[in-house]
Amino acid sequence: MIGIFQAKIKMFIRSPWVFVMMTAMSIGFALIIGGTGAYTAITVPVYTTSEGIQNSIIGDILEDSDTYTFVWSSEAEVMEQLSSNKAEAGAALGEDNFQMIVGVETPSAKIIEQTIEEAYAKQAQYEHIVAASGATTVAGQKAILDELQASIAAPVFNIEVENFRGEDAFIYDNTFQTLFGFTLFFAIYTIAYNVLPILVEKKEGIWDRIILSPVKKWEMYVANLVYSFLVGYLQVGIIFSVFRFIIGVDFHGRFIETLLLMSVYVFAIVALSILLTAIVKTVAQFNAVLPIIAVSSAMIGGAYWPLEIVESKFLITLSKLNPITYGMEMLNGAVVYQYPLKELLFPISILLLMGVVFIGIGIHLMERRHI
Amino acid sequence: MLELVDLSKKFKHMYAVKNLNMFIEKGEIIGLLGPNGAGKSTAISMLSSLIEPTEGDVRFHNKSIIKNPAPLRKIIGVVPQEIALYEDLTAEENLQFFGKIYRLKGQLLKRKVDEVLEQIGLTDRRRDIVKTFSGGMKRRLNIGVAMLHEPELIIMDEPTVGIDPQSRNYILETVKRLNQEKQMTVLYTSHYMEEVEYLCDRIYIMDKGNMIASGTKDEIKRILSAEKTILIQAELLNDTFINFLHENPTINRVIKEEKEITIMVPKEINIFPILVKMAEDAKIELNSVDIKIPTLEDVFLHLTGRALRD
Repeated sequence: MIGIFQAKIKMFIRSPWVFVMMTAMSIGFALIIGGTGAYTAITVPVYTTSEGIQNSIIGDILEDSDTYTFVWSSEAEVMEQLSSNKAEAGAALGEDNFQMIVGVETPSAKIIEQTIEEAYAKQAQYEHIVAASGATTVAGQKAILDELQASIAAPVFNIEVENFRGEDAFIYDNTFQTLFGFTLFFAIYTIAYNVLPILVEKKEGIWDRIILSPVKKWEMYVANLVYSFLVGYLQVGIIFSVFRFIIGVDFHGRFIETLLLMSVYVFAIVALSILLTAIVKTVAQFNAVLPIIAVSSAMIGGAYWPLEIVESKFLITLSKLNPITYGMEMLNGAVVYQYPLKELLFPISILLLMGVVFIGIGIHLMERRHI
Repeated sequence: MLELVDLSKKFKHMYAVKNLNMFIEKGEIIGLLGPNGAGKSTAISMLSSLIEPTEGDVRFHNKSIIKNPAPLRKIIGVVPQEIALYEDLTAEENLQFFGKIYRLKGQLLKRKVDEVLEQIGLTDRRRDIVKTFSGGMKRRLNIGVAMLHEPELIIMDEPTVGIDPQSRNYILETVKRLNQEKQMTVLYTSHYMEEVEYLCDRIYIMDKGNMIASGTKDEIKRILSAEKTILIQAELLNDTFINFLHENPTINRVIKEEKEITIMVPKEINIFPILVKMAEDAKIELNSVDIKIPTLEDVFLHLTGRALRD
């Protein structure tokens, strides 16, 4: 068994191109379509005719915004940025009011306007508090404001806000959707093309030669399956590690769990590949059938788009027979929904069951047909 | 040593091999001869325990190996018709791999690999990837792999198909040497008569799944002792002449190839004047009429009415 395994590893090292290509394509597609998940604030150029605004409460609030980067500019600069489409919107800030200057009507323009409005409302609120305090001198008013800001910075008690959602609530995270989707999809190709040599070796008589040796048949299957599993798992490990450690995608603290969960999916795909190899008769048939299986599984299983947007009952029923469905459910459950392990046991069990059934049928067919 | 008793293999509704009986004694080179599709490969697959027969038995030292093939598998080496090698590995790595699956290791494995590379003449190319080899070199390595664990019985399924004459001679010499120097028993299947005539002590001839003749070379050729084979060559052979041949009651067989016709007639008949008259009547010009020394090819022609490579 070790001998077979070593020979496979040697051939893999000598010709790793399918593996490299599928890994690169997974990373490339996930990166291009899903993005890195890194957050980039939108720049909003603003100008003012009143010098005090920049150092006022309005200026402080705008500069503290996490969502937008307000850049103090001249009127000409604001106009130039808008006309050259470098910014979606800008604003002219006055003492008591402001004017939005919109280059392109986008959803962001409304939110920018709302953010500036909130800053003006906050200033008005502060002014009302100061006025209510009865302080008449400038020093007194400043002392009140400082005290107010100190209190806001160090509140007596904190309020935590939690959102509640029902069981059917759907969270969509594009980065993880594409990362998981393309990883599961391309892993099918890598694994299947590493199981395919069983068919080739049977056709070419290598398998017969090994059967006639003291090596047991179960050792032949185990060596091939373990090798295919490890290559598939290595690919998944590389993809996830690139996203975690190079691109900086946070797996919401569940990177290790994600990797461990993937072992179940890889096992199911190794089994599916065995079944496929047992059903087809030639390499040409395998090459024709594999993309059909992989692409349709990815479409039906929610690798390209979330299953939650699919309305057809027929497609939803089909998805229940598809390992990708449970792979996505498992990964999204762990990372996006932050489910504990016990809530992931259902997809894990289904994938294990699929694995055992597919391997059982696949090996039975191979042995019966003596391919 | 090894015996096939009434062995048959049926695929769906067709017999690939039917009621095959043969035996192999230690130290012999046995030839299994027959055209493509005769059932040779199916026969050796059953003989080597790779497929189970539908009927009959394979007996090794008088014990059936159908349910327990382990004793036979220990002593056989099989050279399949296909190039059963890892094309992405080097010659040396292939031999090491197949050596390891036969539990050879360390210095013994290294020595065996060196020895086999020497025997098959690939020592200089040991570190080259197999897919860069010529067809002949691949065939030699294909044989080398089967020799690695020094089997008592080596089964070769058409080991010279599709290679150049030089590599073919090399392989034939290697088989001969293995038999003479290492007393290896060889079962050699081929559809090349001359190979089997050169190598084998005894010959079995198969056609359409049946064993149609067996014995030593001389015994088989004696099948033709009552007949002579005559080769007729002529320009523009026409149907009239061929019809005359078929209609003549003294001519037993007529086999037409492109520019020649082979006929078989009883030894005592003087057919020359008849042939000359037929040629005149059919208005063709004979180039030559030769009596041939009987070959195994002629025996096959006699038994089946077809050439081996048809």
